[in-house]
Amino acid sequence: MKKGFLAVTFVLALLMVGIGFTHAPAVQAKTIFIGMNIPLTGDIPKVGESSKYAGQMWLEDLNKAGGLKVGGKTYKVKLVIEDNESKADSAVSVATKLITEDGVLAIVGPQSSKQAVPAGEVCNNYKCPMISPWSTNPATTKDRPYVFRGCFLDSFQGPVMANFVTQEFGFKKAAVLYDVASDYPKGLAEFFKKAWEKLHGAGSVVAYESFTTKDTDFSSQLSKIIKSGAQFLFLPQYYNEVPLIVQQAHALGWKKPIVGSDSWGSPETVKLCGKDCYGCFFCTHYAAAGAKGATKAFIDRYKAKYGYVPDDVAALTWDSLHIIQKAIESCGKLTGKIKVDRKAVRDAMAKIKNFQGITGKMTFTEEGDPIKCAVIVKISDKGEYRFYKSVCP
Amino acid sequence: MKERNGKRFSTIRKWFSGIPALGWLLGAFVAVIIEYYFGESLADMLGLDRIPVLFGVVIMLKKPAAIPGAFAYVFMIYVLPVTIIARITSKAMNWLAVLLEKLPLWMSAILHLILLYYILDLWADMSDYRLLLLKLSLIAIMLTLSLNVINGYMGEFSCSHPGFMALGAYTASIFTVGLFMNDRILGHALISTIPSWMGQIVFPLGLILGGAIAAIGALVVAIPSFRTRGDYLAIISLAFMFIVKSGFENLEVFGGPRGLGGQPDWATLPAVFIWAVLCVWTINNFVESTMGKALNAVRDEEAAAEAMTVNTRKTKMIAFMFGAFWAGIAGGLFAHVLRYVNPGTFGLKKLAEVLAMVYFGGLNSVIGSIVGAVGFNLLSEMLRPLEIFKWIIIPVLLILVMIFRPTGLIAFKHFDIREILKPKLKMKERV
Repeated sequence: MKKGFLAVTFVLALLMVGIGFTHAPAVQAKTIFIGMNIPLTGDIPKVGESSKYAGQMWLEDLNKAGGLKVGGKTYKVKLVIEDNESKADSAVSVATKLITEDGVLAIVGPQSSKQAVPAGEVCNNYKCPMISPWSTNPATTKDRPYVFRGCFLDSFQGPVMANFVTQEFGFKKAAVLYDVASDYPKGLAEFFKKAWEKLHGAGSVVAYESFTTKDTDFSSQLSKIIKSGAQFLFLPQYYNEVPLIVQQAHALGWKKPIVGSDSWGSPETVKLCGKDCYGCFFCTHYAAAGAKGATKAFIDRYKAKYGYVPDDVAALTWDSLHIIQKAIESCGKLTGKIKVDRKAVRDAMAKIKNFQGITGKMTFTEEGDPIKCAVIVKISDKGEYRFYKSVCP
Repeated sequence: MKERNGKRFSTIRKWFSGIPALGWLLGAFVAVIIEYYFGESLADMLGLDRIPVLFGVVIMLKKPAAIPGAFAYVFMIYVLPVTIIARITSKAMNWLAVLLEKLPLWMSAILHLILLYYILDLWADMSDYRLLLLKLSLIAIMLTLSLNVINGYMGEFSCSHPGFMALGAYTASIFTVGLFMNDRILGHALISTIPSWMGQIVFPLGLILGGAIAAIGALVVAIPSFRTRGDYLAIISLAFMFIVKSGFENLEVFGGPRGLGGQPDWATLPAVFIWAVLCVWTINNFVESTMGKALNAVRDEEAAAEAMTVNTRKTKMIAFMFGAFWAGIAGGLFAHVLRYVNPGTFGLKKLAEVLAMVYFGGLNSVIGSIVGAVGFNLLSEMLRPLEIFKWIIIPVLLILVMIFRPTGLIAFKHFDIREILKPKLKMKERV
């Protein structure tokens, strides 16, 4: 019984201390937290790694400058990097955690659409600005004033490639091979088909073949494509599938051009594909070889630091972080009340005009999608991604 | 030394063995109230930026400097109040438990559950992140339990659970989004304006519909299970999962691989909690019934069970459909918590997750499933800061469990509600 009594006094004492401290003034927030919701593990860890590195470089710059200057005050910046395991439910948990626990001012990511769509819903509900550097699904930003993206949409990219091939080669018959089970290739294949048939009439896509994620043998689809008499092949696939398909196509005797989409942008594509991919064209956000100015500075710095040429994800993440930085700087002053500040940042972000990023000039539409130029890249004989042409909307 | 340790351990055990479930709940309630009112100031005092959200583990992993602070916080907010309150009030609570024992079991259980709900509600009220985790954990409990009916109680190795979940998730989503929301894929709402309280009335209908469709889907797996067992059934059920996934990927009307979003925000904590309780209750009753014993008989020796007048076909069919029904309900809730579904979610990864939860927690045991689901979910959320190492630690943990407890942490245990809720001190000790 004595012990029980002691325990009660202890708890009471604890409560008193607690009450005493309740009225202690809260520490004035001098630090701005920026969240990163990226796939460090799971299906696409390379994407997460690029984003993380770009974020660390951005932070390094800010720290060198002493912090972020807003309305005459200098704030320290901290990145809160969280792994979303490339899963939709984890992306939602991470977004919720960043907003409610870490009190971030804005979030960069998630990168792939299957996570960006549900995470965007969370951010919009909590009224926290979010910018997805890489997600191309229209649903990510649709009717969500707080959600932005850093890249162009597939509905723009499809016609760009159709126009480019028509003008460059004068071809009339197209073949498409795409993954039917994956959101991005399927959507892009459809946009391309629509654009091509608009240019050349119905039936001008002579082969429209599909496969399912993780297939490794494409010989039956490729034989059909070869037999169809198509003049070129459009291949909107990721870096892990492109080499297999291109090599198998060449083995089956395909000698005509192959063109791709922005998903080819990873340096892994050429590393895995080798000579087979030389001479191919694809549409992307920026070209590493032959870049000038700020883009070149970014590439050189990234390469010196991490040992490889940055892919489009890194460049887009870099731009997205700078858009957030610009929005924070131009919102005048921060009140310290996170909800008010988030709204101010969102409003400033929506007003950004002609932002000069390393992936091109950007202006946001009402939906939060940027109007920006696409770059056509040719894979050179050294395996470099060389700038070929710029296509603007 | 060992003896002394053992003795000390047994005194601790004696200290706390007299506390009924009610006492522990009261302790937890007090702890949560303390955290609610004084958590923030205590965290401030200990030099933490904010309230440690998941018992301090995330903070400890992110900032090693905060380890003592986080530890002290957890000790002062959770460990001390729970143990002290539970111990002090043990006599009063035992007396109350005796009173409650005289009530019908369901009434006493509901009273306990109301207390439990308030604890969880207060705990989750402090952060929306906790709320989300709580909802996902409750859904995981439902999933794990429903798979345990098939894999644990019936002893078949079924891999089709993500498929059942997808059926439930899509059906419930199509029901709610198609009827009540304006959506790009499914078009305008058929019934455009409904008051929000109506949502809570129609939502269960959508969920039950989802469960029913999942149960019908389960027939596709149940019928081949009459002829095959073991590896072959595993392959068939795996095939079923892929059929469902590819089906939704190719059904352009429901969004195809891009998924279906914009579900109404109807999966609130009370809704998820009530469904989870219903799920535990019915599944526990099911496995304790004659039908449940028939399941065990089929698992142990099908031919012998048949000889002993167990209708094995009917048993298998019911078990599959019953498990799938609850998986469908869990899927529907999952879709409404995330407010987005895509077919990619219901793939091999989800299967691995559910199987891990079942085998981690324990086969043939309701309480094991609860422990497995909650433990696995919390663990994977707490270890998130470790990034890639998380995927080394969790599998190693699973291997260790399989070595030292081959059937899972708490396997082959009855979940006797009366036993749990009864007073823990004997009559004469209490006087």
